[in-house]
Amino acid sequence: MKFNSDPNWLKKQAALEDNCFVSVGGLVSSVEELEQRTQQATASRTAFVNLLDLTRRKHKLTWEQLSQKLDVDLAELIEIGNDETYKPTPRTVTQIAHFLNVPAEKLFILSGLVRVHDRYFQEAALRFAARSQPVRELSSEEQEALKEYVKFLCER
Amino acid sequence: MKARIQIVDNATGQAVEAEIFDEVTVEHFIETQQEWRPIVLKAARQLAARGSHQLIPQHFHWDWTTKAPELKVLANAFYGIRCNNQLQGLMKVETVGPFCTCRLPEQAGKSLVYVDYVEVAPWNLKVLAAALGEKPRYNIIGTRLIEAAVLKSKEEECKGRIGLHSLPMTDSFYINACRMTPVGRDPAKQNLLWLEYTPEQAENFLTGAK
Amino acid sequence: MADKRTMTLNLTDQEMSLLDELSARKDVSKTALLRQALRLYQMVETRLSRGEKLFFEDDEKKKAELMVV
Repeated sequence: MKFNSDPNWLKKQAALEDNCFVSVGGLVSSVEELEQRTQQATASRTAFVNLLDLTRRKHKLTWEQLSQKLDVDLAELIEIGNDETYKPTPRTVTQIAHFLNVPAEKLFILSGLVRVHDRYFQEAALRFAARSQPVRELSSEEQEALKEYVKFLCER
Repeated sequence: MKARIQIVDNATGQAVEAEIFDEVTVEHFIETQQEWRPIVLKAARQLAARGSHQLIPQHFHWDWTTKAPELKVLANAFYGIRCNNQLQGLMKVETVGPFCTCRLPEQAGKSLVYVDYVEVAPWNLKVLAAALGEKPRYNIIGTRLIEAAVLKSKEEECKGRIGLHSLPMTDSFYINACRMTPVGRDPAKQNLLWLEYTPEQAENFLTGAK
Repeated sequence: MADKRTMTLNLTDQEMSLLDELSARKDVSKTALLRQALRLYQMVETRLSRGEKLFFEDDEKKKAELMVV
């Protein structure tokens, strides 16, 4: 692609574009649509936290040991676990993805860094969030749920 | 694609080097949410507090991360402009889709490239920068993105034809600065104004001819 | 632009006629039209795989779902 580099053209366009508001796209979406997105984000976030926690427990790691293994701040892992509005850094999510051996782009969605309208993805996240109970040692059902969900993330 | 381009630094009025690229990634979208969105929302709140509702940007709610799945769709092309290690503008075009057909009578039915989303970083827009007590940093970001859309149209053998739906506040940019032809309001897209280029208009825009 | 590869395509007379007609109507070459068709197919398939549905709507606003093979 060859872009115009003529200084006269630049000057002329600068004068024309000055004071202009530039954007293209849709108008404000409805309040209901914004609310629905918030609900979906909560279910995804719960799935993200549970996925991390069950995997940690499967590997018999404390949170501190996990942070060392991931090479991320322990404080950030605690924020992820306790504050559902907290947005992790892309680097942290990528490190978690490598540890879990799942595609980073899928975890960007689960963690809330990226918002996507994907009905099947949201439903799977909701089912996983509902089935996982992170207060005791993994039961065989939880092990199975974890295994199935990781397989789903890797295959889609 | 990566190309060196010139944009204008408003502080000095001089041309400065920037880069336009098409390998846009989800990380760029996350960058807009983290760097642009808070400033857009802050400016929107300031404008609302002053009663300047007509100046509140109509795209304040946008979230580029929702476009992440569309990065892999071949019908789409994304372009970003980077200067001073910061993203200054972002655009998504479609080469096929429901809006990729000309409506101007003299070229009705012919293929065009549709400009779906354009956003310029808030610190480059006079209205938003002023709401925060600042001066806009860079100019002609919008022009460069439309230039990229026209060049993409030529690559796709659409002869420079592009079409887009303008948001009400932005009509004057596309009509006066880009000299696109307003065709009419589109009930299929929130009654927004549809504008189009003929091949001749596209060429005049690229070269600066009248 | 990305490197390109070449393939040979066998079409029936009807298909070739259709290709000629559509490329003339769209004012693009036959190659460009087929590339558009391929991209359109991928765009539709991607959205279907996310659980969306594709409909045609008639003048009376009646919707008919489009089945995509």
